[in-house]
Amino acid sequence: MRQRILGLVGAASIFGLVAGNGQAQNAVCPSPNEVAGFRTCANIAKAEQEGKLVIYSTDVEQGQAKIVAAFSASFPKIKPTYVRALSASLYAKLQSERQAGQYLADLVNVDVVLANDFLKKNGYARYVSPQMAAFRSEFKSKPEGYFTWAQLAVAAIAYNPRLLAADQAPKAWGDILNPKYAGTMNVKSSNSGVQHFVWYTVREVMGKDFWKSLASQKPKAFDSYVQQYDRIVNGEDKIVIGAQYSGYLEFKAKGAPLDFIFPDQGVPASPQVWGVIDKAPNPEAARLFLDWFLSPIGQKVMQEALFLNSPRDDAVPPPGGVAASQHKLLFPSDWDGFLGSKREFNTEWDRITGLR
Amino acid sequence: MPMQNLAPPAPLWRPSGATKIELLASATVALVCVGLIVYPLFFLLAESINVGDPQNFPPKDIGIDNFIDLSLDLTVLLNTAYVAIAATAMAIAAGFVLAWILTRTNVPGKALLERLLEIPFYLTPLVGALAWSILAAPKSGFLNQLLVTVVGVSDLLDIYTPFGIAWVMALFEGTVAFVMISAVMKSMDPSLEESSRVTGAGKLRTLFKITLPLVLPGLLGAIVFVFAEMLGSFAAALVLGLPGRFFVVTTAIWQYTLSYPPEYGKASALGLALFGVMFATLSFYRWMVRRGTFATISGKAFQPRSIDMGRARYGLAAICWLYVFVAVILPIAALLLTSCLRFATVIVDQMSFTLQNYETALTLDAVRSALTNSLELGIGVATVGVFVMAVLVWIIYRSRLPGRGAVEYVVMFPQSVPRMVFGLALLTAWLNIPIPLYGTLWVLAIAYFTVLMPLGVRTLSGVVLQIDKSLEECAQVCGATWAYRMRTIAVPLLRPGLVAAWLLIFIASVREIGVSIYLMGPNSKVIAPAIVSSWSSAGTELTAAMAMIQTAAVLLAVLLLLSVTAKYFKGA
Repeated sequence: MRQRILGLVGAASIFGLVAGNGQAQNAVCPSPNEVAGFRTCANIAKAEQEGKLVIYSTDVEQGQAKIVAAFSASFPKIKPTYVRALSASLYAKLQSERQAGQYLADLVNVDVVLANDFLKKNGYARYVSPQMAAFRSEFKSKPEGYFTWAQLAVAAIAYNPRLLAADQAPKAWGDILNPKYAGTMNVKSSNSGVQHFVWYTVREVMGKDFWKSLASQKPKAFDSYVQQYDRIVNGEDKIVIGAQYSGYLEFKAKGAPLDFIFPDQGVPASPQVWGVIDKAPNPEAARLFLDWFLSPIGQKVMQEALFLNSPRDDAVPPPGGVAASQHKLLFPSDWDGFLGSKREFNTEWDRITGLR
Repeated sequence: MPMQNLAPPAPLWRPSGATKIELLASATVALVCVGLIVYPLFFLLAESINVGDPQNFPPKDIGIDNFIDLSLDLTVLLNTAYVAIAATAMAIAAGFVLAWILTRTNVPGKALLERLLEIPFYLTPLVGALAWSILAAPKSGFLNQLLVTVVGVSDLLDIYTPFGIAWVMALFEGTVAFVMISAVMKSMDPSLEESSRVTGAGKLRTLFKITLPLVLPGLLGAIVFVFAEMLGSFAAALVLGLPGRFFVVTTAIWQYTLSYPPEYGKASALGLALFGVMFATLSFYRWMVRRGTFATISGKAFQPRSIDMGRARYGLAAICWLYVFVAVILPIAALLLTSCLRFATVIVDQMSFTLQNYETALTLDAVRSALTNSLELGIGVATVGVFVMAVLVWIIYRSRLPGRGAVEYVVMFPQSVPRMVFGLALLTAWLNIPIPLYGTLWVLAIAYFTVLMPLGVRTLSGVVLQIDKSLEECAQVCGATWAYRMRTIAVPLLRPGLVAAWLLIFIASVREIGVSIYLMGPNSKVIAPAIVSSWSSAGTELTAAMAMIQTAAVLLAVLLLLSVTAKYFKGA
């Protein structure tokens, strides 16, 4: 996998630069405790005393509910609640609250661009989870402890074989511009971090005007992969562009008629980034959850609930799927360019999808 | 429903003879109302001229760029106008026909039909839009599948069009048109129609030559009012507009505020533009109501009598039942079926039935805590609201306090502000006010109280104005104390109105979406925005299960309340 990941060295240097911001440098605990099958440096008594945990997450509602239910089963004295929204919406909400001095969230899961922005704004509290040893350095902030890639959303193309024969379906990224697919495709809205990642990485491969050309195909934009897959299962659309592999596995497990295409040019693997928030109202509970979530136990629960790939070195594939390392993964070769491209993406994507 | 109660306006300012205590009381009431209503709008105005960092408050860079950018949203503005006009036309046409049938003819099953026609009000536009997206999606809609089987033509109906959006808005938000027009028709002297019939005019000729001109002023009022409501509509345009790449002002505002960096400035400017149009429209409506002498309402006592339609009355009943079928039975059946599917599909051999969606829904915060919160808020806001609003009504219509007209104006003001826009204003205001209420149920309670004030005050004012002052004066002359008069005269007479107002505020609270969607926090989830969130992330079948749970909870609560308070409605 290491050879296939493009540009991660660049990513590490970016994160290294922005993390040197004068925050606490020594948050590594020398002797973690073993509890409920995983190692943690959190003070469990204190976490239980806090009794609450607020997670801001981009994960779909039913998946997030399963994750917090599994955590609660191990720690019944802590009552987790969550707010679910797309990455941009969630981050806008979080930032508005913090700007106004309101600190409601303990943990946040957003896309890598926003995580980086949050780091620049000193939004994360540093906590080096003992679980972080199982994640390669490119997947963590530098110094480590501010954020960690905890999920990988592999995204490419999916279609309904009952509506589109295999020999008629697109095979490569360039095929989606074929006029015969006009009006039959859907994408995610500009508020999606995964869509931004797909837009940037595929554009690096296919050229600057690639997505602009998609406008004439009139793709429809939705807020989640669930809506996207719903529409090709029920026949409203035929093809999902930027289709999450996790969604394909989830719907396939329910018996939905779907096929997934891995174009030869590569498939984007958008990281979902987790970290404890600075001034969190329940910091120990947040640390405990992060340790649990990054551990093999938590990652297994996450994979069963959401079918996403785990970035852990020792990760097993999601149920019914294959490990991310089996694919040619696309990452930005120019992380600086990617991190600074959010506004350009918003404008271009809103035009492509008909908002403006 | 409150809109039919067209109370005469109180004078804006009448200071002569007022005591200091009266002046102080007036000023306090006016200040609280201004604080709740006008203050948040100040934040919205400030945000609209912020051309710098959208999350800086107060803004550091000021300009009018956001208003200039409105020209980029011309399509969105035109879309909004189109949908509002089409929805108003459909709602008024349906409202007029149904009101005429149920108030002026001897159609069978009148009382039952009237109750059934109220159900879309409980269903909410969000649930209606979800249901109709299941029914009339071009490829997968149940109705289209039926048409393919029966007629052999596919894609005949498409709910994801501007017309489809207007159709759902008319069905589920147009109930108000029926109520307003019914009220006008009920107050019409039937002797005028009888004279027409006696002089040889047919029933249709009487309808067009007598009935229609008589109700025209009321009808115009209803048109203007419904149009203003449709301009601020959100849920139907959200659920049905996105798949068709069709945005109206409210959904564009939603998209702007969801992006990062959030475009609060553009959203505020767009919101203020919509507010301007709505304010002008409702000011026109108020002007019409103040100026209008409703020729239909005579000083002479009359008995409302129905026109005998002969055998045609069964045809008219069929029209009403068709409406009930389209607006109530069909949507609920579609939601129920979808909520029991493993994944939403209309292809019969792919259907797999399960109750798992209900099981999942009941494990979600969105249902468990959100429904409880919504019901608690509904009960709390309705109970406190009715009391406070009754006091406001008394101040406006029964007291001699100076400035009571101004109080009335401020209290009715939220009606002119689209809910989404007011929600955005409240978000900005409560995030920046140094009182830690944001993210709690309290801020939602205050917001609901504020936006529902016009509804409560209109409902209660209608009841208060019907009670002649002379009843209380008589008791006073006979030596009854104020407390005795209240207990034996005012409260018993007001009771049905208070219960009705409570019920209306309760339902409006539970179905509220425009302000909740911005103010809901991790520990203060409420049901309507939770369903929107589920719709966007959890799949149609799970969302259908949640919508069914919400609908059942509201209907149960209403039935429970009606059975408990049935005795208060007797003779009302």
